[in-house]
Amino acid sequence: MSGEALERLMKMRDDPYAAARAWKERTGGKVMGYFCCYAPEEMIHAAGALPVRITGENRDTTASGAHLQNYCCSLARTSLDMALDGTLSFLDGTVFVHTCDTMQRLSDIWRLNAGFAVHADLVLPVRFETSSAWDYMTSELASFAEGLEKELGPIEDAALIESIKLFNRNRALLAKLYQMRLASPGILPYDQALWCSTSSALMDKAEHTALLEEIIADLEAGAATADGSGVPLFGIGSVMDQWDFLAMVQESGATFIDDDFCNGRRYFDSEVPEDVPPVEGIARRLWGRSSCPCKHVPSKDRGACLADRATEAGAKGAIFFQFKFCEPHAFDYPHVKKALDKAGIPSLNLEFEQGSVSIGQLRTRVGALVETIKA
Amino acid sequence: MSAEDIRKPPKIAATEQMKQLITNYYIEAKTTEEKPICWITSGGPVEFLIAMGVIPVYPENHGAMCGASKIAVGLAEVAESMGFSQDLCSYARLDIGGAATQSGAIPGGLPKPDFLLCCNNICGTVTKWYEELARFWDVPMFLFDTPFIHKSKPGHATEYVKQQCLELIEFLQKQTGKKWSDDRFAEVAMLSVEGVDLWKEVLKTAESRPSPFTCFDAFIHMAPIVTLRGTQEVVDYYKLLRDEMQERVANGVGAVADEKYRLIWDNIPIWYEMRNLGNLFASNHACLVADTYTTAWAVDIKIEDPLTSMADAYTKVYLNISIDLMLDQLIALIERYSADGLVMHSNRSCKPYSLGQYDLARAVTERTGKPALIIEADMTDSRAFSEAQTRERVDAFIESL
Ligand code: SF4
Ligand code: SF4
Repeated sequence: MSGEALERLMKMRDDPYAAARAWKERTGGKVMGYFCCYAPEEMIHAAGALPVRITGENRDTTASGAHLQNYCCSLARTSLDMALDGTLSFLDGTVFVHTCDTMQRLSDIWRLNAGFAVHADLVLPVRFETSSAWDYMTSELASFAEGLEKELGPIEDAALIESIKLFNRNRALLAKLYQMRLASPGILPYDQALWCSTSSALMDKAEHTALLEEIIADLEAGAATADGSGVPLFGIGSVMDQWDFLAMVQESGATFIDDDFCNGRRYFDSEVPEDVPPVEGIARRLWGRSSCPCKHVPSKDRGACLADRATEAGAKGAIFFQFKFCEPHAFDYPHVKKALDKAGIPSLNLEFEQGSVSIGQLRTRVGALVETIKA
Repeated sequence: MSAEDIRKPPKIAATEQMKQLITNYYIEAKTTEEKPICWITSGGPVEFLIAMGVIPVYPENHGAMCGASKIAVGLAEVAESMGFSQDLCSYARLDIGGAATQSGAIPGGLPKPDFLLCCNNICGTVTKWYEELARFWDVPMFLFDTPFIHKSKPGHATEYVKQQCLELIEFLQKQTGKKWSDDRFAEVAMLSVEGVDLWKEVLKTAESRPSPFTCFDAFIHMAPIVTLRGTQEVVDYYKLLRDEMQERVANGVGAVADEKYRLIWDNIPIWYEMRNLGNLFASNHACLVADTYTTAWAVDIKIEDPLTSMADAYTKVYLNISIDLMLDQLIALIERYSADGLVMHSNRSCKPYSLGQYDLARAVTERTGKPALIIEADMTDSRAFSEAQTRERVDAFIESL
């Protein structure tokens, strides 16, 4: 591993919420959890609170079983479990963005059972690309900001503009890091690049940005440390937090060169325009960024978009990594797979549940994909 | 309980008319040459289609038919072989399988759509499902987006939905090449209100003891109000049904012999198991007097301002509100129908309906003292159902009443 900054960041992976707990202790500020990467983090930040992304974890659930059926995705089940057993007790509140049917109901169950002081729902439109949806979206964001102000304190325009600049800087650095890896994958193993992006949503943004600057400088100065010769793959899914799986992919002679995970590329893609009023800027970014399957964006064919991106990245194969019981992604799968097939990119569909990922079984399947590509 | 104790429930005479109505409707949909066909979700604003002379076709209604006639699993397996996960809503799976094979409960499958109208007030699933249909049939899709209500509905949400009514009118004019008529729409809205009011009157007769019908009957007789509201035929039909039910009430005729227990059903029926379940409850003298499913079509439209009130009604439906708001409605149902308990179908297919039921069940018992039973199943995919276990649980539940 190259450099002290990267080492510090990587240590956090063993205890993802340690930084948030420490921040709270140090500053006495409020910590706001959120689930979906359409959450306007800048608003939370501008109100002086720390936005922290909750994505569940590998665990056997207990307490959440009294609230959620076992045919619900593990992200929702393990997150609720973490709230109920005190793992998330450092949170002062939670922001729910309308995502899928599961998130929508989790919001209710969370509000009634998790016991956090603040609960905010942001019901973004599902239908994009019409002027009525745009009007609704900007009004909803404005009233969401008003609601936050009541709970967290004022969100001054000047502060919001500063937050936007900081978040944009962070996004630009993450994009640069991914770009550097695309050019020479050997500079950094994929799981570490993905953690650079993932951890950005788990700690103080200024601190993370400073670390990123150091990491990038170190990478620019240093030689390749990882084996960059693996078969280049493209990753598709919502949240990817299975680090052992990624290590196994690397061992199998492949490496992800780019992804569409929402804690990866989709977290930092496109910036908030800075030349318009801040709330409008935030809305514009959410409106225009590459789409999640939970949004209906008629002019963009998600299959074609992903196939193009994978091709541009030079990927020779793709892996779908899907949460079991996740409808939005599962519905898109056959169509996206077809688009990849057409582009000559073989793919593998893996379904998993946090807490019961069997690396051994997946190894065989990943190995088979790598062999097909090499053949 | 011996078999002799189970008296056959009286047959509802209007059933024949209903079957005729639905058969005629499907025949017209299959054979029409001039009228455009639009596939629409069950919670969608069908009045706009009727007003434009478009024939609405409901994949969900067809899904229920496939479930009841036990061909759902075979169709779902077709979709699964196309790469659709077995964990997806089974209506969607069997519909995609039916489209791919041109088959189903209707000979030759549902008629091909000219365009699609998807309203997400029931779930986000339909958005994904209809996106797939739009690709499969290569036809345009209109998404009618109704923001979910967690606490109360903000003004900008009402405005958004109202604007979409106007956009929908534009869309329909473009698709059909016909001009929109406010007068025709007012007529349809009026008939819709009349149909809905009659449907409410039918449901109301179940408040009497004994109840003249069970929710299993309501599941069957709801087809016209879901699919064809806004037409004169529906109004005529529900007058007939209402009169028959009111007559039963007047004569003290109950749907279940010696009705002892009155229960509320929650969620979509278990279509393939409906007859058995009906018999099981009836043999225990338990009548399922009302449900959260068929009441979902009892939405209010104000004739003075149909667009605004429709925007409002279509946004506030049962599946588009938070579980605390659902709880209020559940409790109101229990009180209105003097129910002794609640039976919840935890439906693997339907997350917006099912997630939250565990909390709802506890809250209902806490607030009303009435017990709740949860049955784990799927509305059409019988692979997710255990008959023996369900029997056991129903028996034990009724024992406890
Ligand atoms: S989008 Fe998928 S993974 Fe995310 S909460 Fe919904 S069902 Fe779960
Ligand atoms: S069953 Fe549930 S998930 Fe499926 S279409 Fe109906 S409301 Fe949506």
